[in-house]
Amino acid sequence: MNSSIELVIGFVALGVLAVTLIGVRTGRAASRSLEGWMVNDRQMGPFLTWFLLGTEIYTAFTFLGLAGFAFANGGAAYYNVATNDVGYALGFFILPAIGLIGRKFKHVTQSDFIAGRYNSPTLGILVAFCSAIIMIAYIDVNIEGLGAILNVLTEHRLNVLDAEIVGFFVLSFAVFFGGIRGNAWQSVIKDVLMFVSIAALFLIIPFKFFGGFGPMLGQMMTKIPANITLPGPHHKLGLMWLASTILLTGFGQWMWPQWFNVAYSARGSKTLKLQAVFMPFYQLVKVAVITIGFAAVLIFAGQKVVGNEVVMLLAQQVFPLWFLALFALAAVLSAIVPAGPIIMMSCTLLSHNVYAKLVPSSEPKTIFAISRGLVFVVTFLALLLAVVAHTLIALVLLAAYNFIAQLVPGILIGGLFWRRATRDGVIAGLVIGWALTVYFLLNGISAIDGMNSGFVALVANTIVFFLVSLITKPVRAEILDEFLAAAHGPRKQAASAGAAASPLPAE
Amino acid sequence: MRMSMIAWICGTLLIIALYTLGPIVFNAAAPAILGMPPLYFWFLLVPLLNPLIMGVVYLIDAREIELDDEVTK
Repeated sequence: MNSSIELVIGFVALGVLAVTLIGVRTGRAASRSLEGWMVNDRQMGPFLTWFLLGTEIYTAFTFLGLAGFAFANGGAAYYNVATNDVGYALGFFILPAIGLIGRKFKHVTQSDFIAGRYNSPTLGILVAFCSAIIMIAYIDVNIEGLGAILNVLTEHRLNVLDAEIVGFFVLSFAVFFGGIRGNAWQSVIKDVLMFVSIAALFLIIPFKFFGGFGPMLGQMMTKIPANITLPGPHHKLGLMWLASTILLTGFGQWMWPQWFNVAYSARGSKTLKLQAVFMPFYQLVKVAVITIGFAAVLIFAGQKVVGNEVVMLLAQQVFPLWFLALFALAAVLSAIVPAGPIIMMSCTLLSHNVYAKLVPSSEPKTIFAISRGLVFVVTFLALLLAVVAHTLIALVLLAAYNFIAQLVPGILIGGLFWRRATRDGVIAGLVIGWALTVYFLLNGISAIDGMNSGFVALVANTIVFFLVSLITKPVRAEILDEFLAAAHGPRKQAASAGAAASPLPAE
Repeated sequence: MRMSMIAWICGTLLIIALYTLGPIVFNAAAPAILGMPPLYFWFLLVPLLNPLIMGVVYLIDAREIELDDEVTK
């Protein structure tokens, strides 16, 4: 390893240490109870909420995986620009409703929500356990990203597995001590660094390799037209795939339990609604990343390059050493910081919604201790998954979405809008949806008649959910009335009195 | 149904339509629009339109909350 690489790695190590300490310091005071650790006592304002939401967008996937997906699959990568925007629009009403219900019933997880809505602790346990397992795949995305970063940085000489273990022990300690508020402050640092890094790469590449933006875009149009449109260079991912994937991932976005957590940790509805207005601006960074992926097709023409590594390879080519160090730090933080809320949520689901329900005599203190202790177990499981299933980051994320989006009928449709939805309907739909998703995954079926296979599973799930709900016993009206009325908050006006099934979240 | 709910449903459907139906028209590598490939242009434009759409929804919702508060007082 030459001295310049050692300098970069040393800088990255120091930077990660500093950010970890900041997370621990800022989050320690708020992390003395499960509610404080998980949802910051529901006191997070617009500024931190913006960055906490941003953390979920600016992951290793955005930094490395999206460019890799654009590089390998062409125009299909645009799905990811749309995913979050559709999610934000849905979230404008959904998140405040979930937040208000959570505030009234002291929910701290998605499983609390579903158990409350269907008056079924069993369903809560089932959803909690399955979600926690699915979330490990999302943590794996970040571990894979970390591996790719260090692999390129050390010119394939550093043991990637060792680097991943070290990185995630650092993360584990930060999450263990810092909780969600600590993670939000880490996100502020990470997002600023990432924005600067991506902007620098986006601005430098056209001038260094093509003589400007115009010539670069011109070359894309003439030399690689198949790579910048649909169905892409492999002629597999067409317009139907794009539309079905946007619907699947846009709706599925709020099914990730950590997104529920954002609804719970925000100070009020206004905070959440403002995110729906301003968060779409974040998506422009994704367009920049996709541009880098397209440009890489021209730059690396004829070379054998792994998709996950194109961003780091380009950074190595265009940046001076000092900026490469900063860039590498941003990339490493993009893998480490976003995994925080996901790990915390996965642990809390297992302790609060599985263990505590199975052992009702558990003390809150014990549950909180188990949640924090599980941080290390869950991270280790994600590490194992990364070792046994190496693939394109984007494909791991898409597979994870196929599973988590199966919660849409139970949580979104039945949870907030359709009073007739039943516990049995949710379970039957989930069994069908998840069984089909596993079948498609094991048989390598990513599209059916051009549509995303996860979307097909979701349609089947939704049909079963409706049919079974209609023939099974619904939740008692008085329980349901109280639950749905909570979504209205303190507004007592006559106008909303007759809209029990429609969440109208208030300030 | 309240006005804010209608505005939210319309806004959400519009955003979904822009992203899922727009590419049918713009899925081409040429001719350039403002110097950009058409599909690239579209996915650069829509994230700029969305804050406007959701901004209108937000203002309608905020106005309704204001009126509700006046009624409650």
